[in-house]
Amino acid sequence: MPYKILEKKEIAMRNIWYKIHAPHVAKKVKPGQFVIVRAFKNGERIPLTPVMWDRDEGWVVLITFIRGKTTMRMANELKPGDELLNVAGPLGNPAEMEKFGKILAIGAYTGIVEVYPIAKAWQELGNDVTTLHVTFEPMVVLKDELEGAVSRHILETVPIDPNLDFPANMKNVTKRLTEKVRELLEKEDWDLVFMVGPAGDQRAVFNVVKEFGIPMKSDLHPIMVDGTGMCGACRVTVGGEVKFACIDGPEFDAYQVNWDELIARSGYYTDMEQRAMQEYMKALQGGEQ
Amino acid sequence: MAVKRKIIKERVPTPEMPAEERIKSFAEVNLGYTFELAVKEAERCLQCPYNYAPCIKGCPVHIDIPGFISKLVQYRDDPDKAVKEALNVIWACNSLPATTGRVCPQEDQCEMNCVMGKVGDKINIGKLERFVADYAREKGIDEELLFEMIPKIEKKGQSVAIIGAGPAGLTAAGELAKLGYDVTIYEALHEAGGVLMYGIPEFRLPKSIVESEIDKLKKLGVKILTDHIVGRTVTIEELLEEYDAVFIGSGAGTPRLINAPGINLNGIYTANEFLTRVNLMKAYLFPEYDTPVKVGKKVVVIGAGNTAMDAARSARRFGAEVTIAYRRGPEDVSARVEEVEHAKEEGIKFEFFVNPVEFLGENGKVRAVKFEKMKALDERDSRGKRKIVGTGEYVEIEADTVIIAIGKHPNRLIVNTPGLKVERGRIVVDENLMTSIPGVFAGGDAIRGEATVILAMGDGRRAAKAIHEYLTKKREGNA
Ligand SMILES: Cc1cc2nc3c(=O)[nH]c(=O)nc-3n(C[C@H](O)[C@H](O)[C@H](O)COP(=O)(O)OP(=O)(O)OC[C@H]3O[C@@H](n4cnc5c(N)ncnc54)[C@H](O)[C@@H]3O)c2cc1C
Ligand SMILES: Cc1cc2nc3c(=O)[nH]c(=O)nc-3n(C[C@H](O)[C@H](O)[C@H](O)COP(=O)(O)OP(=O)(O)OC[C@H]3O[C@@H](n4cnc5c(N)ncnc54)[C@H](O)[C@@H]3O)c2cc1C
Ligand code: SF4
Ligand code: SF4
Ligand code: FES
Repeated sequence: MPYKILEKKEIAMRNIWYKIHAPHVAKKVKPGQFVIVRAFKNGERIPLTPVMWDRDEGWVVLITFIRGKTTMRMANELKPGDELLNVAGPLGNPAEMEKFGKILAIGAYTGIVEVYPIAKAWQELGNDVTTLHVTFEPMVVLKDELEGAVSRHILETVPIDPNLDFPANMKNVTKRLTEKVRELLEKEDWDLVFMVGPAGDQRAVFNVVKEFGIPMKSDLHPIMVDGTGMCGACRVTVGGEVKFACIDGPEFDAYQVNWDELIARSGYYTDMEQRAMQEYMKALQGGEQ
Repeated sequence: MAVKRKIIKERVPTPEMPAEERIKSFAEVNLGYTFELAVKEAERCLQCPYNYAPCIKGCPVHIDIPGFISKLVQYRDDPDKAVKEALNVIWACNSLPATTGRVCPQEDQCEMNCVMGKVGDKINIGKLERFVADYAREKGIDEELLFEMIPKIEKKGQSVAIIGAGPAGLTAAGELAKLGYDVTIYEALHEAGGVLMYGIPEFRLPKSIVESEIDKLKKLGVKILTDHIVGRTVTIEELLEEYDAVFIGSGAGTPRLINAPGINLNGIYTANEFLTRVNLMKAYLFPEYDTPVKVGKKVVVIGAGNTAMDAARSARRFGAEVTIAYRRGPEDVSARVEEVEHAKEEGIKFEFFVNPVEFLGENGKVRAVKFEKMKALDERDSRGKRKIVGTGEYVEIEADTVIIAIGKHPNRLIVNTPGLKVERGRIVVDENLMTSIPGVFAGGDAIRGEATVILAMGDGRRAAKAIHEYLTKKREGNA
């Protein structure tokens, strides 16, 4: 079932926007749900989030952050008019649509693109939503869209220090993130905090939120394979019970999540992912000579 | 054919790849018969009369076994004709013989009471069935037969939606298409085939065979919508608005986990995840294929069914030392005999009467499994297995990879359908395989829990008949 790429553009450094013809998803998707994409014959299945969609025209927008081989290959090898091999979904449970009151919805890095449809829907429902996007300076995305969608959009950018490696730079983001959250929680009263981003940053933010006792929901991103509840790769411990993020989540109560386990599980394939990336880069360079 | 034959006691063996070679690759282990060997084996069959033949009674879909076997002998001078005639007999009851010939537990079914068993080896029915299907596929004879069938199909003008492209759904789809219905399959994954595609490994059931079966369905006009998850992309209620009937063949895909501390440590896979990575995503070809899998040096597989054997033998092919740990004894192993033998030949160790109680880890990664030693009592449970009890003694087995293969539940997205009656996770059906929702039928693992390919196919076929009757009434009622 091929799905045509209608548009593709780099909207910020390492952030690629794909508008995809996928009517079966466009027709049904709700904020908080995701899809599983397979882009290449020998490729992986990776979860991505519909950020915008048009039910009548049958398209969805996916925004990827270039992390490893698959997202890199997609950025390098796909062009408008090409097709994704598979877009399965929508998957996962939609975000709870209720009047929570005053909500702080946080996105770290490209996580903000997943916050966007949920925050927008919450605001439309009558909530007072503030979105907070913390990322590197050249990686700002959806600023105008968020400003138009919620009560207040706060953007906190961190410069990339060329003298530091990427992990060290990321520490600066974590620092800014937790400082800003603390400042917002101290100054104002909130009914709910919501967050999408790397598990480590989610935990760091949760540790701040916990001090204030404010309810917090997190969108968890464990490694997934099928996304339909068949494999158990995505299992997380929540409230002492084993849950499958793809069918029980992806949204969970941050207070119940076993964060250490989630972080350990997310990193299980790091060495192989790096190897795949290195070999891909090597092949690319070889090909260019 | 009143030829007097002398009894040949010994089975004509099928060539197999030697164990030391096969643990280095995912190529098929059993190489199957040639035409000459197949005829030799076929000649051994005593041609029991149809009404008596115990082999036919033992086959869940009642293939006319002496019937198809006799064709091989009868037309021995014209292999193509022999195979075409034989295939025609098989197809009357079974549309996936290349698969069942490979994966049926023949020793408990067709071959169990074969009369030849009283004087020598039983007839190798599975391998003969497989031969017919393989030869037909390689020579395009199956397509020939199909193309003869297609013009005779009378379009009914009614449509059926099938949920799940496993053996149950594929069979139902094929039968309904042959009866003239417009059939659309909704499949959650990116490839059709169900367990045949994601679960059973290449070395036991080459994926090209499954693909060819699916190709034939497409030629019959069956539409397959992959990436569609019923319960999310579309609901059963919506399907009923668009189609005249629905068949649920969604299998039993949700893995059961062991409720023991440490279950989420890294290195602990469910068999489904492990096999999906290896088979469907071809992780054994990493990094040529992008999906990774990690197989350590010491692998412990928990369980002793077909799934456990497949996981263990796959892990072995990554060079690991593999132990199968089972809480009961050798007599209760539920895997096919051939699989257990192959596993042993390939150097897989078995530990019996051990029940996992804890997974021990280091830095978030598994390093050993702690088991309680069990012992069997004389008393038997409802399934006829000896009851087991803990002894209070424990052992630790070192492991850097653990694969849990203790069974599966039906897919939750389907069983949560409002109005669908479900008991213990299984969809409840009446004698016509109709569920509590009128016009919605179900079969295969979705109603049985974990069963077999042939039972799933049998259900698909039975459901197709029932759907045909249901839709005929509907058609005539509306006329
Ligand atoms: C529900 C959900 C929604 C997501 N939505 C988006 C999105 O809208 N935009 C976006 O850029 N990213 C999203 N992600 C993350 C995205 O799936 C990963 O970035 C992608 O899989 C990385 O693949 P890669 O080959 O480029 O990198 P790799 O080198 O393979 O992996 C880099 C890291 O990505 C994570 N990852 C890798 N494979 C998977 C996998 N199969 N499933 C989940 N995580 C994986 C791991 O933490 C890994 O260490 C989402 C993840 C989930 C679970
Ligand atoms: C590893 C393994 C080895 C086995 N070995 C043997 C063997 O040697 N011999 C034997 O006879 N049996 C064996 N079995 C059992 C046999 O494979 C099953 O009994 C059989 O496949 C059941 O067929 P099914 O069509 O009911 O379901 P499945 O084969 O499970 O197919 C169900 C299909 O439905 C799809 N689906 C599920 N939910 C949805 C949804 N919501 N929407 C759309 N699609 C959905 C799934 O993706 C899948 O493709 C084995 C099983 C396993 C796991
Ligand atoms: S379908 Fe299975 S049980 Fe029936 S004859 Fe073939 S191998 Fe034997
Ligand atoms: S029972 Fe055995 S010998 Fe008799 S017909 Fe069947 S296969 Fe042949
Ligand atoms: S991704 Fe396989 S069960 Fe969730």
